Parts: sequence; C-alpha cells; structure tokens
Amino acid sequence: MGFTLRDHTADVAVEADGESLGAVFAAVADGLTAAMCDDPAETGDRFSFAVRAEGREALLFDYLDQLIYERDVRGVLPAAHEATVRRAGDEWVVEASARGVPFADVDARDVKAVTYSEMRLAETDAGWEAYVVFDV
Amino acid sequence: METREFGDIELRRVREHVWEIPQEGEMNAPARVLASEALLDHIGDDKTLEQLRNATHLPGITKHAICMPDGHQGYGFPVGGVGATDTTDGCISPGAVGYDINCGVRMMTTNLTYEDLQGHEEELVDALFEAVPSGLGGGGVVKGDAETIEDILARGMQWAVDAGYATDDDLAHCEDEGFRDDARPEFVSQKAKDRGRNQIGSLGSGNHFLEVQRVTDIYREDVAESFGLEADQIVVLIHCGSRGLGHQTCTDYLRRIEKEHKDLLDGLPDKELAAAPAGSELAEEYYGAMCAAINFAWVNRQLIMHRTREVFADVFDRDWRDMEMRLLYDVAHNIAKKEVHEVGVDPEGRPVRDGDAVEREERELYVHRKGATRAFPAGRPELPPAYADVGQPVIIPGSMGAGSYVLRGGDQSLDLTFGSTAHGAGRLMSRTKAKQEYWGETVQDELREQEKIYVKAQSGATVAEEAPGVYKDVDEVVRVSDELGIGDKVARTFPVCNIKG
Repeated sequence: MGFTLRDHTADVAVEADGESLGAVFAAVADGLTAAMCDDPAETGDRFSFAVRAEGREALLFDYLDQLIYERDVRGVLPAAHEATVRRAGDEWVVEASARGVPFADVDARDVKAVTYSEMRLAETDAGWEAYVVFDV
Repeated sequence: METREFGDIELRRVREHVWEIPQEGEMNAPARVLASEALLDHIGDDKTLEQLRNATHLPGITKHAICMPDGHQGYGFPVGGVGATDTTDGCISPGAVGYDINCGVRMMTTNLTYEDLQGHEEELVDALFEAVPSGLGGGGVVKGDAETIEDILARGMQWAVDAGYATDDDLAHCEDEGFRDDARPEFVSQKAKDRGRNQIGSLGSGNHFLEVQRVTDIYREDVAESFGLEADQIVVLIHCGSRGLGHQTCTDYLRRIEKEHKDLLDGLPDKELAAAPAGSELAEEYYGAMCAAINFAWVNRQLIMHRTREVFADVFDRDWRDMEMRLLYDVAHNIAKKEVHEVGVDPEGRPVRDGDAVEREERELYVHRKGATRAFPAGRPELPPAYADVGQPVIIPGSMGAGSYVLRGGDQSLDLTFGSTAHGAGRLMSRTKAKQEYWGETVQDELREQEKIYVKAQSGATVAEEAPGVYKDVDEVVRVSDELGIGDKVARTFPVCNIKG
C-alpha cells in the first residue's frame, strides 16, 4: 500500500492504493509530495483542514487542489499526509492533515495543479486504488 | 491515398506535412496534424492523437482541431493544440487553454555582442539567479497587497508602467500591448489571488527559464532588421506564466463547469475538456477571469525583465538604456481569444470545411491555443505598428542545449491554423524517465565544458528533467513551420546562460 510515480510525457502521474478511501487519498498526496521533492526534511508543524465535495472523485480533486493552495499560501511543502473520508448526506468529506516542511529546508520544485485527466478512483479486493495526473 | 495508423486512429495524408483524422461518430469536425514523418512518429507515440480527436467533440469547433508540429500529450486537450469555437453557439474551454494561463515567452534585445559578454558568463548567471525569484517558494519581485493584485489583474502592463517597472516602448512591443481590457478581476477567486500575491515576478520551475542567448544565424535579413536582430547579438529570453493565480483560476472554473454544466461535460469524452456554452454566464465569467490572469502573466514576465535589466546594468557597469535593452515581443502560448477569422460556410450558414463550403464569411471565434503561439502575418489589425507590415515575431524556445528561434507570422497561418504555429521543441521523454537517464550536475558540467552554456537551477532534479535529450528536435519543428508557411524562420539563437527553478 502506497504510491508509485508513473511516466507521463510532460507531466507526472501518481498511482496509489490504500486499505480505505482515506488511506488512498493520503497515498496520492504522498505521491504529490514526492513529485515536488525527492527527500523532504523531517521538519515543520502539522496543519489540518477539511474539504467537502459532491462525489468521491471530486473530493480527491478538491483535496489535492487544497494541498497545492496550502503549499503556496503557507509557504511550506506538505508532507506525511493523513486523511479520513466519510459521507455526510449528499456530500463527501475529507478531514486531513499534513506536516508543513518550510521551503527553506527542502530542495523542491513546483507542481502547478491537479487534473482530472485519466483520473481513476476504484474499489478493489484489498481496498482502493487511484491514478492522478498532475500538471507540472 | 497515403495513410498512417496509430492504434485505432488512421491519418490520411492531405499534402506534405498535413495529415487528417476524418470526421466520424460524435466528432464535430475533422482533426489535422501538421508534422513531418519524423515528428509524426513521436506524436503518434503517446495519447496526443486520441486527445486531438477528443478535442473535435467540443461544441461549435470550427473547420478542424489542429495539432502543431511540436504537439504532445497533455491533459484533455493536447499540448500544441489549436481549436476555434464559435462565440455564438460554441463554447469556451478552460481545458483547451490549460492551467498556466498566458504561459508565454518574451525576448529582449541588447546592443551587446557575444564578445562583450565572454568572461562575464559566470558572474552574470550567478547575479541573474540571485535577482530573479525561481523555484518553489522563491517569492516574487514585488510583494503584492490586495490592491496591487486587483490593479495588476485589471490593467496588466499599464500597472507596470505606472509602478516604474516598464516603459511605454515595452507596451508597444507586447501582444495586445500587455493589457486585455476584457479582464474582470472580480471573477478571479480569492484563493487564486492569495496564491498570486507572493509570486508576482517569479519564474516558477518545470520548463520555465530565463536564458541569455547569442544570435547565431539570420535567415531573413530584412525581417531581422525590422525586429532589431543581427548576428552575434546578445538577447534574453524569458519563459513563464501566470503562476499559482492562473493555475487556480483554471482549476476553479473546471470545477464550476463540472457542477453547473454537467450535461455538456457528460457529452465530452474527457472531463479535462470541460467547456462552458458560449453566451452562458459561466463562459463570460471565465473569459473575464482568464483575461485578468493573462494580464497577471504579462506583469510577471515584465518584472523579471526589469530585474534582468538591473542585473545587466550591475554586471556591465552601465545604464540598461545604454545597452538598448528593448522588448522585441511577448507572445502567449496558453490562451483563448475572441478573434475574427474567415471561415467557409454551408448554405445554412454553418461553418464547414473548405471543400464543402458554398461561401466564406467572417466569424468571431474563441481561438484556443494550448502550447501554440499566435503567428499573425502582416496586415492583421491586432499587430502593433512596429510589426504591422512585416508580421508578428514568434519566439520558439528550444531546450537549454539547443537553439531557439525567432519566426514571423506566416502568410499561410490564417488559412491553416487560425493564425498559429508551434510553441517550442515539445517533450519526448517523461520527467520520471529523464531523472533515471540524467543527473543534473553532470548535465550542467557537460553543457559548460562542451557548449560553453552556464546553467544554474534551484533543483538538480529540474536540470535532469529538462536535459536537452528529453526534447524533440526544435530544428525539425521549425523546418515544418517554415515549409508550411505558418511561421517563417527569421533568426536562430544559442544559449549562453540559463537559470531555472
């Protein structure tokens, strides 16, 4: 259970799996971190946030978008992701946290955005798997 | 008829360098690929053709969806894609513009020669790297408050003139004079503005860079003279876009389209093609927000150019004006614009391909260029007076180990590509594979020792990901553009110093 960076001509793709929806969300986010930095430092404080969306794929998209937003406005590289996902009426909610590694402590590069291109989020015998392409 | 097959897609050869995917099924138009046999081999190697065929499903797509010679797989719409949709009954697609709204390039000329610069390379690359914010979290030339952001979004380069970062001459040599008056800052989200605030005047990373170059070849003396280019001259090329503000704007509108125009989205083969129907409130708001992000990107490149002028002044110990550091041109390559083009129409007045047309009419279209450069020939009213009689400059960056090109908009571009040509070399190899194949420091050492190119980057991984070998042959891309007459070769440049994130 975890993530793998996959080939994409211009951008970067993350393939991930996890025992639960929350675990696969966090694994994709760990892949996003790896796409930005080969070796994140063990520094920084954890921060938390929650995101709501109308469906599971939309929630994964919005969760990753929020992480990129937090990165830019907090000035940190989000790492060591944790997430739980639940249904709340007509919506889906992710409650998440990450450790914000100060940019000064890492050698990192930009990922511009999450995309829906070829996005896959599916239940498997062992839990959940996901595939997400990021714009670099 | 000569054909080529790539998976389930058959291309028919129309004439040299022109290939067509015929219209069938749910396609609203045929698709065309402008490529030599060699470039087509690369284009057919990933999902570019599938994405191009998908793009023909956009409502109101006119004549053809077109792939430029440097086309490659993107997300939704291919990179190197051009698609024109009717502004009355078509659509506007954030996916066909891309996340980095008004990603583009500008070139600044100088009166320095390569000889003047030799011996200063190391000092110059270090000073540029120090002065120009790059990479992740590098900040910006300007720390913007809320009012500054609003002003930049509304007025683009006009803000930069008032703030002392640009001259009137800079405005006169920028696409649209550096200002889209359709900009509506109120339709750019607070999230996007928050992300932009710390990044005003910054390169970012990925394939963005600033490069000092020397002019090595002149192909059309008269045009080069009009552009102020001559052999051995030092020029500066800047490639970047609208940073987090533009990326967030695209993301925001993709999600709104998903929620508000699900019916249209459900009819498209790829969610990333997300489009808002022409005339809808969302289409108008996206267009206004996109134009504001366009203004932001122009200011971004202007501030980097301003810093570059200051660095040259320090390194060469004279005023930048004495070095005649003038903007040659600034061109966008991720953009959608309302433009009027002549199209063939059927007896009912519907746009059709030329062979089926009974007459020709002028139509206002949203021309989407995603990884494609506007390449208007002489005579188009949009051109600035300096280039009205010669055609607009088109800047085609190559990799950091290869040449870049200056073209001018070709006579055939309006007929073949809605006035567009390529935007670069086009990637050949994935970033993950590039990091397995290359080591950043080795690439830097080889470039310096073998080619006298001085590279400095925030991240060694970026150098590996952008190694010269990961790109297609820019010479071949430009040869096809020139032979098709969509962008004519004017000059070639070669890197001297390169900084990147």
